[in-house]
Amino acid sequence: MQNIISGLNQAHENDSGEERKLIGDRGDYFLNRMQGETGVDISACYQCERCTNACPVSHFMDIKPHQAIRYVQLGWREDLIKSSTIWICLSCEMCTTYCPYEVEVAEIFNHLRNMAAHSSITPKEKSLAVFHQTFLEVLQKSGRVNEFRLMNTYYLKPDILHERIKNKTLKEDLLLGITLLRKGRLKLFTPKSKAIKEIKRVYSQTRGEIV
Amino acid sequence: MRLSFYPGCSLEGMASDYARSIDAVFRNLGIDLVEIEDWSCCGATAAHSISQTMSVLLPARNLAAAEKMGLDLVSPCAMCFNRLRFSQNMIKKKVFDIPWPVTGNVRVHDMTRFLAEPPMIKSIKERILRPLNGLRVVCYYGCQMVRPPKITGYTDYENPQTIDRIAAAAGAQVIDWSYKATCCGASIGIARREIGESLTRRILQKAQQAGAEAIVVSCPLCQSNLDMIQKDRSKRHTPVFYFTEMLRLSFEEHGDPKWFKMHFTDPVPLLRAKGLLS
Repeated sequence: MQNIISGLNQAHENDSGEERKLIGDRGDYFLNRMQGETGVDISACYQCERCTNACPVSHFMDIKPHQAIRYVQLGWREDLIKSSTIWICLSCEMCTTYCPYEVEVAEIFNHLRNMAAHSSITPKEKSLAVFHQTFLEVLQKSGRVNEFRLMNTYYLKPDILHERIKNKTLKEDLLLGITLLRKGRLKLFTPKSKAIKEIKRVYSQTRGEIV
Repeated sequence: MRLSFYPGCSLEGMASDYARSIDAVFRNLGIDLVEIEDWSCCGATAAHSISQTMSVLLPARNLAAAEKMGLDLVSPCAMCFNRLRFSQNMIKKKVFDIPWPVTGNVRVHDMTRFLAEPPMIKSIKERILRPLNGLRVVCYYGCQMVRPPKITGYTDYENPQTIDRIAAAAGAQVIDWSYKATCCGASIGIARREIGESLTRRILQKAQQAGAEAIVVSCPLCQSNLDMIQKDRSKRHTPVFYFTEMLRLSFEEHGDPKWFKMHFTDPVPLLRAKGLLS
């Protein structure tokens, strides 16, 4: 038993240097909440690791998919929300498809991503989180997403611009953009949908604003 | 035959060549595609990552518009298809309040499966003027079109056959390979390039190892990922076609090199070598 506990906590200590947590000290509250909200039987997971083995990006994650499910069972919510795992996940649904107990891993990650987006914790993969946010911003401005506008808005975000200048990839990205424009793959203007108003209303409602 | 058509945002920008080839192919097949009036974006990955409600409501608006038309819906983009089907499921579960009148009963097809039905294959075969003899291709499906099977309705999600059947009907020599439904990284390459490239490069390598001269896809994002990764490689080029581009090529007496000017990897030399383009 001791081995299992220390094994599970290893990744943890490296990241945050926190004290060791005991299994079961959180109760079932978080597990029940996740099961209720996603409609997935998370307690059915018995750590066969098929999800992790099927995942094409598991080696970029700090908490592997099967571990993440165990974290949910143990109620370690903060660690999940802070992890890079939930943002790295591609939603390619390999894990969901191959789970023998139909634990919808991708759906659970998606739910955790929703939670993280509505929490005050800074996401570990900021550039990915900002991309999703930018996509929705552009979407609610014109009803449809124009790739040119999406990329412009994304690169002009202070965090992203700063990161690209630091990595020295900005020039390369600009050149790619110019090539795409020349090839006619990026269109400066595309039709807008008249649904903008409706979508804006729906979007602000989902964020709890009263319209 | 008439169908309502949900093109999706990519077909107005990055994949406008896909849109043109779809138009040509369906006109040739005598099927009327009626674009949904004033359609809006399906929300893609961003919507379901940030707000589950938006991911149900955005496609629901388009489903409502399609129901008003009373026609079956066909979507060429894998992501749009997946989101529409997902939204339909959620509408039927009645979890969210939807501000538009929608029942979720409209039939949503993905374009490849619609064209791979036996009667459609038959009518494709009848219209082929110039079979793509000797062109060795692999077909690549990506994730969103086949997975999760509960939503997409694919039973052969490990080894899907729809594009294979269409490419074979067009006369191409279809090679079997193992990476048909492996993820290409989708939009992760924009924010984290090294992850996106590692995934896409592996698929490209495996396609070349299988002996393919070209890759046939149906998803706009898969096409641009697989195509753009080859932009500065002087080595072996493997053009990436949309499956409708292949069909159009076999449907028309004289192909036009202009059709492929949006591709990064120029397929014209390959097609000329095979005698498929004058």
